[in-house]
Amino acid sequence: MRIGVDTGGTFTDFVVFDPASGQLSSFKVRSTPHDPSAAILQGLARLQAHAPRHIVHGSTVATNAVLERKGAKVALVNTAGFRDVLHIARQERPALYDLFADPPAPLVPRQHRLEISERIAADGSLRTPLDEAALDALIAHCQREGIEAVAICLLFSFANPAHEQAIASRFVAAGFNVSASHQILPEFREYERASTTVLNAYVSPVMSRYLGKLAAALPGYHVQVMQSNGGMSSPHQAAQQAVRCILSGPAGGLVAAQAVANAAGHPRVLTFDMGGTSTDVALINGVAQVSRNSRIGGLPVHVPMLAIHTVGSGGGSIAWQDAGGGLQVGPHSAGAEPGPAAYGRGELPTVTDANLLLGRIQPHLFFGGQMALDAERARAAFEQLGARLGLSAEACALGAVQIANAHMARALRVISVEKGHDPRDFTLLAFGGAGGLHAAELARALGAPRVLVPHYAATLSALGMLLADVVKDVSQTVMLPGDTPFPQLEQRLAPLLERGHAELAAEGVPVAQMQLHASADLRYAGQSFELNLPFTPQLLADFHQAHQQAYGYHDAAAQVQLVNLRVQAVGQTQRPTLPVYEPDDAPVEAALLGRYPVRFADAQVETPFYDAARLSVGLQFTGPAVVVRPDTTILVGPGDAAEVDAFLNLIITLGAA
Amino acid sequence: MKIDIVRLEIFKHLFASIPEEMGAALQRASFSPNIKERRDYSCALFDPQGEMIAQAAHIPVHLGAMPLSVQAAIGSMAFAEGDMAILNDPYQGGTHLPDITLIAPVFTGGQLAGFVANRAHHADVGGMAPGSMPVARELVQEGLILPPVKLFVAGELQTGVWDIILRNTRSPQERAGDLRAQIAANQRGVRRLADLVAAYGLPEVQHYAAALLDYTERLTRALIARLPDGSFEFADALDDDGLGNGPLPIRVRIDIHGDEAIVDFAGTASQAQGSVNAVYAITLSAVYYVFRCLVDSEVPNNTGSLRAIRVHAPEGSLVNARPPAPVVGGNVETSQRIVDVLLGALAQALPDHIPAASQGTMNNTLIGGWDPARGRAFTYYETVAGGVGARPTADGPSGLHSHMTNTLNTPAEAMEYAYPIQVLRYELRENTGGAGKHRGGDGLRRDLLLQTEATASLLSERRTRQPYGLAGGAPGAVGENVLIREGVEQPLPAKGQVHLRAGDVLSVRTPGGGGWG
Repeated sequence: MRIGVDTGGTFTDFVVFDPASGQLSSFKVRSTPHDPSAAILQGLARLQAHAPRHIVHGSTVATNAVLERKGAKVALVNTAGFRDVLHIARQERPALYDLFADPPAPLVPRQHRLEISERIAADGSLRTPLDEAALDALIAHCQREGIEAVAICLLFSFANPAHEQAIASRFVAAGFNVSASHQILPEFREYERASTTVLNAYVSPVMSRYLGKLAAALPGYHVQVMQSNGGMSSPHQAAQQAVRCILSGPAGGLVAAQAVANAAGHPRVLTFDMGGTSTDVALINGVAQVSRNSRIGGLPVHVPMLAIHTVGSGGGSIAWQDAGGGLQVGPHSAGAEPGPAAYGRGELPTVTDANLLLGRIQPHLFFGGQMALDAERARAAFEQLGARLGLSAEACALGAVQIANAHMARALRVISVEKGHDPRDFTLLAFGGAGGLHAAELARALGAPRVLVPHYAATLSALGMLLADVVKDVSQTVMLPGDTPFPQLEQRLAPLLERGHAELAAEGVPVAQMQLHASADLRYAGQSFELNLPFTPQLLADFHQAHQQAYGYHDAAAQVQLVNLRVQAVGQTQRPTLPVYEPDDAPVEAALLGRYPVRFADAQVETPFYDAARLSVGLQFTGPAVVVRPDTTILVGPGDAAEVDAFLNLIITLGAA
Repeated sequence: MKIDIVRLEIFKHLFASIPEEMGAALQRASFSPNIKERRDYSCALFDPQGEMIAQAAHIPVHLGAMPLSVQAAIGSMAFAEGDMAILNDPYQGGTHLPDITLIAPVFTGGQLAGFVANRAHHADVGGMAPGSMPVARELVQEGLILPPVKLFVAGELQTGVWDIILRNTRSPQERAGDLRAQIAANQRGVRRLADLVAAYGLPEVQHYAAALLDYTERLTRALIARLPDGSFEFADALDDDGLGNGPLPIRVRIDIHGDEAIVDFAGTASQAQGSVNAVYAITLSAVYYVFRCLVDSEVPNNTGSLRAIRVHAPEGSLVNARPPAPVVGGNVETSQRIVDVLLGALAQALPDHIPAASQGTMNNTLIGGWDPARGRAFTYYETVAGGVGARPTADGPSGLHSHMTNTLNTPAEAMEYAYPIQVLRYELRENTGGAGKHRGGDGLRRDLLLQTEATASLLSERRTRQPYGLAGGAPGAVGENVLIREGVEQPLPAKGQVHLRAGDVLSVRTPGGGGWG
């Protein structure tokens, strides 16, 4: 039995695959933030004893340690003269027009940023020998100060790691948890490498404790951990390279979204995961896109992660009137506390209140009727705001929804149009609690032709855990001329292939299931950005062509640099196929929960509400309609056509009715 | 046509996304680190009269300057579909020569729907020193001057203009790459505005463009109305003009009457012999920036906010120079001092909202010459961050860019790969921030070891006059430029060209921010 477990802020989600029957099932348990493993144990207790059990876990432990600044006490060892690189960062301020916005404080304060005399040149040759005698004082400092983990980031250590290795072995011998930059991210640009290495040192001890505790609580289980690159890893590796697990849950969501989208025959999707305080969006062009320059809590993380763009707009975003008499939505959020006005504690109107007021949420159907909603309170909040703006409560609520959509449309344009993709070629794949209510209108604003709401929309991340391969990323800055003979490049690549192979072997992946994908980053000399291309003998020609395609020009005569070599090592797992369901003859009326007035832009319309659980494969209906699930609500607009596909996904085709 | 406030807000997003997409296109396609990585560019959308509706600004110093570029272009030529103008003349719509602006009209159904424009800082446009930021005595020494001229006529590239530009720079290949990116960005903007007009119709687009300007004006007036009425004066000075003339005072008086502000620079020094002169566009940008910082971050960037503010800058002064004065430092140095005096004056009106002086300079460092190891010429340009002024609520950050710039640094490892220059130190200058209840931020020290002979151009400020403190806080420490030759430190001037030998170390030490309280 394989179990995907995704720990979220409110719920811990389980998706269970039984290989014997080929069945998938899912459920949720309330999260236990003080000790996330408690919820996991509760959930597992619900399952019948089937041996062996294999868990793939998406954890927020690393994320929360960074966001809440509750990681280990870290010291950083730098090349002399560069102790402040972590503080200076790239010297830019976070907001252009805010005299009070500060950049995030470095994770290591100045007194624990230590210097050592040494210098390696760009070509890896020795410029200044390592002052080994000075190490005693640094170790003594860390012991005296109660340092838990040590990060080491020396200039050009990726070109010659000898000094970092010497320092690391001394600190390891002294009993410290050590993260060395040549192991975490052997790539040039010292600030981003230091930031990634320090983050690793900061979260690794926390992750290690958590995974140790989980293993002790789950004897006999085989546990693997989801990484931010969409692949999984052993707990041992996850504890050592915890920085690779920082966006573990959201990565699971994208892996599943990719599988669902491809199976449904809509391989190009924009994913839209709308929660209470923020919304995550991502682009999947057959495969999820990888970013090598992400940030967490404002700090750069340059290990490969699935590319996810977050905006601070969600169901809890507050509608308000600005000094120019305009209606604004967000960036302030009512969050979980006090929450939307309808939850009974807040006073301010939110997007969720607007949906309630417009009839799109029916209180007795919301979360299976388990959560009491105070519709009068939501109305009063919008009446007050509307009075100031000269609008009725309904018009004001409708405006708030439209403005929230405008914010999210802009986020989706950033990841599509600004990267050279046309949203008209994409399907909007919506999940998360609030996504289904906004998806159709948002797709319309973007020009996307259809919306896909997956059957597993509420537990998509946990499903992704079951669909993930083992994935290891290995990289190395080499900075070679682009015309370096191919055999020489192969020679430089060989150690990366070996490392990729060894890392998969250490995870127990049989050779027959290993795939090693080699690639290279190239650029024209003088540029500061690279294009990633498959590693082949036509590398150089491919680069010119890719540059032409991406930027509209190339220069065959210009000098080219081969900056980095990369290997992605994939250990294929036996993954479940998404179950296909059979149609039955039940008419759509069988799923009818009732008819309620819903307010749309043009008019108020008596609208049928359907129970998703009773909508069977092949059913078609036209909007306006609302599909209710225990955890989410989906709005089908007037003029749109909806259909349940063979995977029980709801497909909405805009303007097709 | 009535104004629907929901539609107004949606149009705000639609308009804003056009220059943002242009900026993304420009950054993607540009060649040089200066544009690609340091993001020294801006894009904007205009109505048919040249009023700026939306700007995606990465560089505040471009804020007020872009509308003047478009107006200069409109004033000097007639536009037809497929045309694109280019300019960098500081006295005809530009600010300083390295900033090249491209302007394109947008026609829909034969009607002018508006303009799009973008401006990017080019690493070299010729002139007397690599990097085109010398201490000069007249504009023509600073580089190639492009008055508004058509780069495209009816969709056809004017190859004569193109060839002249590329023949007048030390790095033609890089210039060509960056200019192509600028062209592509404008073409993107033209298409996007045309799409918008196709979706909503020209009357509605123009209606909401006008409404958005009015809305921004209302927001700005609401801000000014919150300021106490009165007259607030402040003065500070530039150290010198690089030719031994200084200090050069900049004075401002801000009069607040109800919801209007008058900003008057009477009493400011006359334009200088050296390259520190600011053209009017720079002064306007600085005023724009300061008021922009006081209003909520959701306010659109457009010219509506300037309707409530009148700016008087005496002609022929340091803050409104006339030809043929050299101007390259006006953009990067004088602009910072203009911000300092504006904030100093506003601190009297809003004592709890204004920080002490930040480093007040960009510490422009340019090094150029021949790289024997790589067999090619090189030009390195960088601005160096420093101390930020303490706030009434908190210390000032250390080693951070402030006010009119926000460009990234070059990593030490990238430096060694690209130039015959090795970074020896890059660290905070401890205790250079001014003392106070809240401390000013510390400046930086960046030491560069030359592996070959080269020419350095320095354009820096706050080397003799300290960044001021507020509410009793102490001023920040001044910066220093130092040459370390054979282990011996020699002071270097704040501005000027220096010949460096192999083995020399150029040490740029930036000012601290002022303290507060």
